[in-house]
Amino acid sequence: MKQPSYMIYKADTSRPLVDEIIKRSDQNLLSCYQCRRCAAGCPVGEESGVTPDRLIRMILLGDQDAAQNNLLVSKCVACYTCGVRCPNSIQSARIIETLKQMAKEAHRQPLNHHMTDFYDAFLASVGHWGRFNEIEGMAIYETENVAKEIFKGHFRAIIDELFNQAQLGVALIKKKRMHFGLDRVSRRAEIRSLFEKTKKH
Amino acid sequence: MIQLAYYPGCSLHASSQLYDIQCKLVFDRLGIELREIEDWNCCGAIAASKTSDFLALALPARNLGIVDAMGLSEIVIPCSSCYSRTLVAQKTLSSDPLLMNSINESLTHKMGGSIKVSNILEVFARAAGTGILVEKAFKKLTGLRPACYYGCLLTRFPCDVDINDDVENPQTMEMLCEVLSAVPIDWNYKTDCCGASGAFTDAEQSQLLMSRIVQDAVARDANCIVTPCPLCQFNVDVYQDKARKKYGVGKKLPVYFITELLGLAMGIDAEVMQVNRHFVDAMGLLRELKLL
Repeated sequence: MKQPSYMIYKADTSRPLVDEIIKRSDQNLLSCYQCRRCAAGCPVGEESGVTPDRLIRMILLGDQDAAQNNLLVSKCVACYTCGVRCPNSIQSARIIETLKQMAKEAHRQPLNHHMTDFYDAFLASVGHWGRFNEIEGMAIYETENVAKEIFKGHFRAIIDELFNQAQLGVALIKKKRMHFGLDRVSRRAEIRSLFEKTKKH
Repeated sequence: MIQLAYYPGCSLHASSQLYDIQCKLVFDRLGIELREIEDWNCCGAIAASKTSDFLALALPARNLGIVDAMGLSEIVIPCSSCYSRTLVAQKTLSSDPLLMNSINESLTHKMGGSIKVSNILEVFARAAGTGILVEKAFKKLTGLRPACYYGCLLTRFPCDVDINDDVENPQTMEMLCEVLSAVPIDWNYKTDCCGASGAFTDAEQSQLLMSRIVQDAVARDANCIVTPCPLCQFNVDVYQDKARKKYGVGKKLPVYFITELLGLAMGIDAEVMQVNRHFVDAMGLLRELKLL
């Protein structure tokens, strides 16, 4: 019978993976003793099929693939319930942030490209103006999103998505809650400098 | 008048501008002058934290530097996400001077480290403690049975910071509601995540999380929800109808900002506060209870 991946120990990747994650996330995941208080509190655990304790096991076993490509890393809402309840104060959301950053650096395809596309669009808008401008940000997001979905042939999904967003847009305009001005920072050079430095870190 | 630095954040300058308007009106009545920090930038919210640790710390740091330069010692941040990111950045950078210096090199106004970063509830709680709220809140909010919804970011953080309320069962909004003669209900989902961050990137999940919250509030006979976070308010308000139909929640509950309740009690006009611009009708209940 094929063993599930979380029971296979990958000797040569385990230690370096654990070390990198501990260093970058500043969380000592080695102190996890699988009490599962995190699992009980995680709002997305059931839908993901993976809970923070399982994620920590994947890392300890050296399975970088499983650790980065699971639904928990994709769905984590960073509510910090896991970290607050852990008796060893392990902030699993920080571990997940680290895994997401590592995946982005390695140009891995995320399980849910909507999330990463949205973060990218958000930061693109912030990078331009210093503040998030809703119309611009959503336009950048939908352009990328729709392009990817067309490529996959998900035409129905595109129509639904654009319809929903249009519906929301119209509703916001009717309620006079749509902001049409451009919100911007005067000293944008500082923001650009910070974004430049980000590339080196 | 007490002066506080004020950071609205991107949300309060755009689709949640009503909250910005309400904050200014309510704080003024409470004898607190809000000074919006000049040339503030986006805090990065969840996008920065999931993309780059450096950027997630650098963006809020710039804002803290500006507060320092304005000569103010405390900043109030109504948005829970902006508040969380700013507090975490301050805490993390104060123990990493090298990183703080690296960020400060890019800034005209350098970040120090001794500003008090406050959330809106703690400032209201302090005001209530001085007695000014009882003095100004002449209209009793009788008949309101709010489910006080704090959201996930006011009492939980990814690092060790001072928290001024009970982590699992916060009481600040309940205390404020009682001062206003509303009767808050006791319920299970005070600090559960509403899924706002995935509102359109993982809509099914987001609506599931939000429906659980509304479901519990309805089951415990709340007639409204009150919250301080603009992202939670937007999510639970705008998508409540969709989530309700998908997950079979019995009733729709209006989602008030904490400032709307304070404002109504202090006699501020509901339409001036734009309470009529919610998605789930928020005026009907107020009319019914003769609170307008």
